[in-house]
Amino acid sequence: MLPTENQVYIIIFSTLFLGGLMSTFVVAMVFIHRQRQSENRQKIDQMQAEFEKTILNVENEIQQETLSQIGRELHDNIGQLLSLAKLNLNSSKQEKHADGREYVNQVIREVRALSKTLNLDWVESITLDDFIYQQLQKIQATGFCQTSLESDHSFSELEKNQKLVLIRVIQECLNNALKHAEPDNIVIRIEKTSHSRRIEVSDDGKGFDTTQKSSGSGMYNLAKRMETIGGKFYLTSAVGKGTQINLELPL
Amino acid sequence: MDGFYRFPFFVLCYIVFCANLAAYTNFDFDFKKTVNAYLGNTEYPMFNLWLINVTERQILTILNLFLIKSWLEPSKKKYIDWMVLIFVITAIILQVTKVELMYLEQPIIFAIGANMILFACGLYFIGLITNEKYLQSNPLRLLSFWKITFLLFNYSLTYVSSVSLLYLYRENPSLGRILFEIGTVLTIMNTSIFVLLVAAPFLAKYFDREPYHASN
Repeated sequence: MLPTENQVYIIIFSTLFLGGLMSTFVVAMVFIHRQRQSENRQKIDQMQAEFEKTILNVENEIQQETLSQIGRELHDNIGQLLSLAKLNLNSSKQEKHADGREYVNQVIREVRALSKTLNLDWVESITLDDFIYQQLQKIQATGFCQTSLESDHSFSELEKNQKLVLIRVIQECLNNALKHAEPDNIVIRIEKTSHSRRIEVSDDGKGFDTTQKSSGSGMYNLAKRMETIGGKFYLTSAVGKGTQINLELPL
Repeated sequence: MDGFYRFPFFVLCYIVFCANLAAYTNFDFDFKKTVNAYLGNTEYPMFNLWLINVTERQILTILNLFLIKSWLEPSKKKYIDWMVLIFVITAIILQVTKVELMYLEQPIIFAIGANMILFACGLYFIGLITNEKYLQSNPLRLLSFWKITFLLFNYSLTYVSSVSLLYLYRENPSLGRILFEIGTVLTIMNTSIFVLLVAAPFLAKYFDREPYHASN
């Protein structure tokens, strides 16, 4: 074979080789894309299922809490009012009858208010700021500790599911603070940063060592719940220095 | 016209202009001879390689890099900017220092340009298999995928034929012509995809909207 002929063959084969290489590369890319697409779909489905499960759990927990609250209200408030109404209406004195009727009217108002909490529609009608304010007021009313709320109203627009999860997570954070931390002050700050919205729940209670493994899964569950709505959960605490929890949602 | 379609339209106009200019140089021999003489080429006054070098292998390569940039995820766009900068500087240096003459074959500049295009195509394919937005789409219905594929073929296949073209015309003209035809076919394919890119809004039945359309 002549050297010139050799070079011509090299040119032909290198062209064919490059063509084959490029074709293989493109076809391989399409196959990898398909494979990754299916993996991605499975991941999204799994996340969706997890999200739905979380929302269902949150709704159940809120409903259970609502039922216990209704039980307490029926026993401590409405029951008392009805007893008073009965006593007054059974009285022989006419002026007591008027008081009795007033008690009955009060019972009707209380029952109406209670009936509204039976379904989760209240979640849509209330803003997160209002909810937090109500919770802090309740805590303060017990005289257990002082509370304050500082908000720039950056969470005023939220999807119902996000609001449900946040309500539950905040409730849990407050419950934990009251149960374990014995704080003098609980402060909630709501603010917007350049890339996220943040709720900071901090107390000046006992605090705890975050490096020690906890027997419960409460914090892990809270972090998981925040993840299902695309948010993040950060906790910082030290013994004697209180606890600070940050809940972040991207803008 | 949407900004996303304006750039392919501009490139298409540029290709049409260059093709007509190339045709004119073959028609007006005196003009071609004058330009060749101005560039220092009195030996081959019939050549219009200077035109192909500047318009196709340098400017069109840069335009293709910018086109690929518009389909990349934001974090990868900076690589294209750097590549364009390096390519422009290298091409100028090589031509000013006369390492590669403007009126002859420029294998080094073409090799650098072709490798940059291949690297940019690689960035696109990495995005295709890792980026969330691309993973939700069907690549066969994306014009960007077809354009990148043809660019990949164009720059890899024409590289061998273009650097060996003069040699082949001397030793085996018929093979040289066949290899040259590969380039011609791929150029037609690439230009056709430019037409489809411009017409994409009217072809929604066949092609999907580019995942990064909104961010451009």
